Amino acid sequence: MKLRVRGHIRDLLGFKGLVPKRKKRFAKSPARAVGVDPMNKLARRLHPAAQHLVVAEIKDETKTTKTFKLVADPDSATKELACFRAGQYLSLRVEVAGARVTRPYSISSAPFEALDAGGFYEVTVRERQGGFLTTHIWENWKVGSKVGSSGPCGFFYHEPLRDAGKIVGLAGGSGITPFRSMAREIVHGESDAELLLLYGSSDQDDIVFQRELGELEQKAPDKIKVVHVLSCKDVSMEGCERGFITADLIKQYADVDDSSFFVCGPQAMYEFVEKELATLDLPRRRVRRELFGELEDVTRLPGFPQEVAERTFQLKANIGEVTVDVPAKATEPVLVAMERANLAPPSECRSGECGFCRALLVAGDVYIGPEGDGRRAADKQFGYIHPCMSYPVTDLEITIPRGM
Amino acid sequence: MAAGATQQQLEKAYDCVVVGAGNGGLAAAAQLAVQGADVLLLERHNLPGGFATSFKRGRFEFEASLHQFCDVGPPTDKGGVRQFLEDDLGIYLDWVEVPEAFRMILTDPGEDMDVTIPYGVEEFIDAVEKEVPGSRESVTKYVDLSREVIDALTYLGETRGNPDKKVLTKKYGNFLKCCPYTADEVAEALGVPERARKILHAQWSYIGPPTSRLNFTIYGAMLYKFLVTSAYIPKQRSHEFSLALDARIREKGGHIEYNTSVEEILTKNGRVVGVVTSKGDRIATNHVISNASPTLVYNNLIRPKADVPETALRSCNARVNGVSAMVVYLGLDATFEELGINEYSYFVYGNMDTTKLYEGFKVLEATKVQAVMCLNNALPDCSPPGTAVLSTTTLYQPGVWEDVSPRDYVKVKNRIAADLISDLEQALDAPLSEHVEEIEVATPQTYARYTGSYNGIIYGYEPEPWDSLIPRMMMMGDDKLFEGLEFCGGFAFRCHGYSSAFMSGQTAALLTLRDMMEEGRVAQ
Repeated sequence: MKLRVRGHIRDLLGFKGLVPKRKKRFAKSPARAVGVDPMNKLARRLHPAAQHLVVAEIKDETKTTKTFKLVADPDSATKELACFRAGQYLSLRVEVAGARVTRPYSISSAPFEALDAGGFYEVTVRERQGGFLTTHIWENWKVGSKVGSSGPCGFFYHEPLRDAGKIVGLAGGSGITPFRSMAREIVHGESDAELLLLYGSSDQDDIVFQRELGELEQKAPDKIKVVHVLSCKDVSMEGCERGFITADLIKQYADVDDSSFFVCGPQAMYEFVEKELATLDLPRRRVRRELFGELEDVTRLPGFPQEVAERTFQLKANIGEVTVDVPAKATEPVLVAMERANLAPPSECRSGECGFCRALLVAGDVYIGPEGDGRRAADKQFGYIHPCMSYPVTDLEITIPRGM
Repeated sequence: MAAGATQQQLEKAYDCVVVGAGNGGLAAAAQLAVQGADVLLLERHNLPGGFATSFKRGRFEFEASLHQFCDVGPPTDKGGVRQFLEDDLGIYLDWVEVPEAFRMILTDPGEDMDVTIPYGVEEFIDAVEKEVPGSRESVTKYVDLSREVIDALTYLGETRGNPDKKVLTKKYGNFLKCCPYTADEVAEALGVPERARKILHAQWSYIGPPTSRLNFTIYGAMLYKFLVTSAYIPKQRSHEFSLALDARIREKGGHIEYNTSVEEILTKNGRVVGVVTSKGDRIATNHVISNASPTLVYNNLIRPKADVPETALRSCNARVNGVSAMVVYLGLDATFEELGINEYSYFVYGNMDTTKLYEGFKVLEATKVQAVMCLNNALPDCSPPGTAVLSTTTLYQPGVWEDVSPRDYVKVKNRIAADLISDLEQALDAPLSEHVEEIEVATPQTYARYTGSYNGIIYGYEPEPWDSLIPRMMMMGDDKLFEGLEFCGGFAFRCHGYSSAFMSGQTAALLTLRDMMEEGRVAQ
C-alpha cells in the first residue's frame, strides 16, 4: 500500500513542516505566566490541608457536654471555612503536654452556618472520665483559644444518589451530633430529606440538645420527628420511650422498607442496635454506620492475643531520614505510641477507615480488629497498616510519612 | 509544630530528585534505582500512583482510573510495558487479561449501533466486516498503517532518535506521510466507510481530542497495540501496580517521601541545582525528573522565576491542554449477571461525531460520552459475593467547572451524576440506581486535589498533528530548557495514556543517566 492523503509531495512536505509549524505556534503564543489554576484553587477551598480556628463561644449542653463554636482565626491564613456535608467531622489537632494528637469530632452545626463571613463550625464534646483529650479541652479551651483542624472529612452523610429520602437516625448519647447538623440543614431548607430520630440516652439529664431538637421538630413537623428513648429506671419525662432502641421500636415509628438508617453512638450502642437491625432484614445499602473512633478496649475483640495484653513492645519508627525507638503498649494503637513520642504522625479518622495514617510495616506483627480494617487489598499484600487501628503484638519497625 | 518535626527534615544530596510518584515518576525512579543512582522520589499525596490508585467506600474498593493497560501482552509475547517491568526492573505482577476490546452503544435517535468488538487483528477486522459489510479492505489498510507506525517508532527507538533517513523513507514512507494528519483524515484517505470509522475510532475518549484533531499516529499506535497485545489490568487495582514500583524503588536503595510536595526547583545558570519542599527540606541535586507538567514547572516551580525563558511560557500557552474527567463510581448490591451487564468495557456515546461530542465537554451538563468499566466482568472476585463495581467516566474541559462555587459544588456534581446514571441505565437497560450501596463522584476538582495536576487534567497536552509524538521527539533538544531537567508522565513527549505516561519515565531516567555518566557522577 502507498498512502496518499493529499498527494505524495504534499504528504511529505506535511511531515517536513511539522517542526517549523510547532516552532511557529510557540513563537506566536504569549509569554504570559499563568497562576494557580481554578481547579486547584477550588480543591484548596473544599479540602484545605489545614484550617486555623479559634474558639468563639462555649455553651454547656449538659453537665458533661459542651458545644464549642469555632470560627476562622483572623490572625491566620484561614479566611473562610471549608464547606461540608451534614454528618461530616473535623479532625482537630491539639497539642497536649507537648505532643500533637488528633481527634475526630462530628460537626454539630449545619453546613449553611459555615458559609460566608461569620461562618462557624460547632463541635459538641462529652467529657470522658479520665479521658486524656477531653480533660485537656475542659481545662484549656477558652474563648479565644486557637484550634488546628483538618478540612471536613468522612462519609456519614445523606447522599440523595444513594439513600432513601427518609432518614432514620439511630443515635446514642453524644452520637446525636451529626444528626443535629442534618436536622438544622433540613429545617433551613437545604435538604429535601426527612429525618426520624430515635435518640437513646440514659436519663433526661443526659439528653444533648433536648430543647433545640424539640424546637426543630416544631418548625418542620412534617420533616423532623424526634423520639427520645431513655434507659434509666425512673423516667419522669413525658412522651418518651423507655428502654433501648429495639427492632420493635424502630418498626413502630419508621417506614422500615423505605428509609435509610444512619447509626451513630458509643460502641455498646452499635453492638446492640446492630443486632436489632439484623432482625429487620434490611438491604445493606440501607444501613450506614458512623465510625467508632478509637476502640475502648481492644482486648475484648475476637482474636486479640490475650497473652500479650500486658506487654509493652519496642517500636522503631522511620520518619523522614530519622529513626526513633519508642515504647508501644499492646493495648494501644501504634498511632498513639507515635503521638506519645511526639512524632506528630498524620491521622484523621482514627477508626481504620480513611488511610491518612497509612504506614509501611517493615518488621514485626500487629493485631487488627475485624471491624477496623479499612485497608486497600494491595496495601495488605504489600504490608501496609493503618496505625490508628493496629496494635503491636511483637516489636515493630514501621516507616511513616511525615505529618502536616 | 512537634519537636520531632525539624529533626525529620531531609538533608542528604541526591543524584536525582523525581517530582511526583505518578506512573511516569515511579517508572523514572525505579529505572534510576535499579541502575544504582541515588534517587529521591517526592510525592505530595500519602500514596504512590497519582491517578493509578484505588480507594475504599464501605465494602467496596474502587479502581480510581485504569480501564485497560496497553502494551502489556502475555508472558510469552511481552509488550513494551511488561518487558520494562519484568526484564528491566524485575517486577512481576499478577496481570489479568480483560475479556474483550469493548462494546459500543450509540444512543441518539437514529443511531443504530450496538457492537461488541474483540481484540486480535483478524478478529477485529472480521468483527468490523460483519457489522459493516465491504469494509474489510479499507479497515485492513488502516490496521496495516497502524502497524507501520509501531514498527517505525520501534526503529526510531532502536536508533535513539538518529534514524537513517534512507531507511526511514524506504521502509516507513507511509508512516512519514501520515504524521501530519488526523485520524479522520487518514481514515478518509483510506476509504474507510463512515460506519466502520465509528467502530475504529471508538476508543478516542481514551486520548481525548476529537478524531478531527487527534493525530493518526497516536490513535493508530494505541489501536494496534491493543489489538496485538490485548489489554490487561492488575489483580488488585492499579494501586497494586504503583505499590510494586514503590517497593522495588526502596529495595534498590531509592528513597521515597510521601506527604511532601516540591515547591521550588532551584536553578543556577540554566542548570538544576536543587529543590525545596513543602516540609522545608532543601535538597541539593543536579537532576530533576518532573512528573509534574511543564506548565506547572515553568509557571510555579522554577527559581529564580526570572530565569524561566520566555519560550517556556510561550510553549505552555501554545499547547492545547487536555481534558479532565468526571467519574461516577458505583458499588452495587446486585451482580452484573443479575443486571444483565455482560461486558467489561462499554463505550456509551450519543453518536460518533467526536467534534460535536467534544463541544459537550465545555458545558456543565451530562455529556454524551461515557466510558464504562464493569470490573467484576474482568475480576469476578473484586467485590463481595452478590455485589458489583461499576465506574463510568466522562470528560470535561476543566474551564467549565471554574465558576462552580464551593457551596454549589456537591449540587452540581450530583445533578450531572444523576443524569449520567440515568443515561447509562437506559443504554444498558439495567436498573443501576436501585442497587447503589456506595457511590462516589469525582470531578476535575478531585483530580486536582489528589495529584495537583494543572486544572485536574487527567491527560496531557492534546496530540494534534503539530504537537504529537513525532514533532515532540524531533524537538526534544529545543524543548530542553534547563540542564538537568527532564519531564515524564502524560505531559511528556510520549503523549498520554497509561502505558505512554509510564514508559516516558524510563526514557527520562535513561536520558538523565546518560547525562550523569557524562558528568562522571555514577559508575556505569
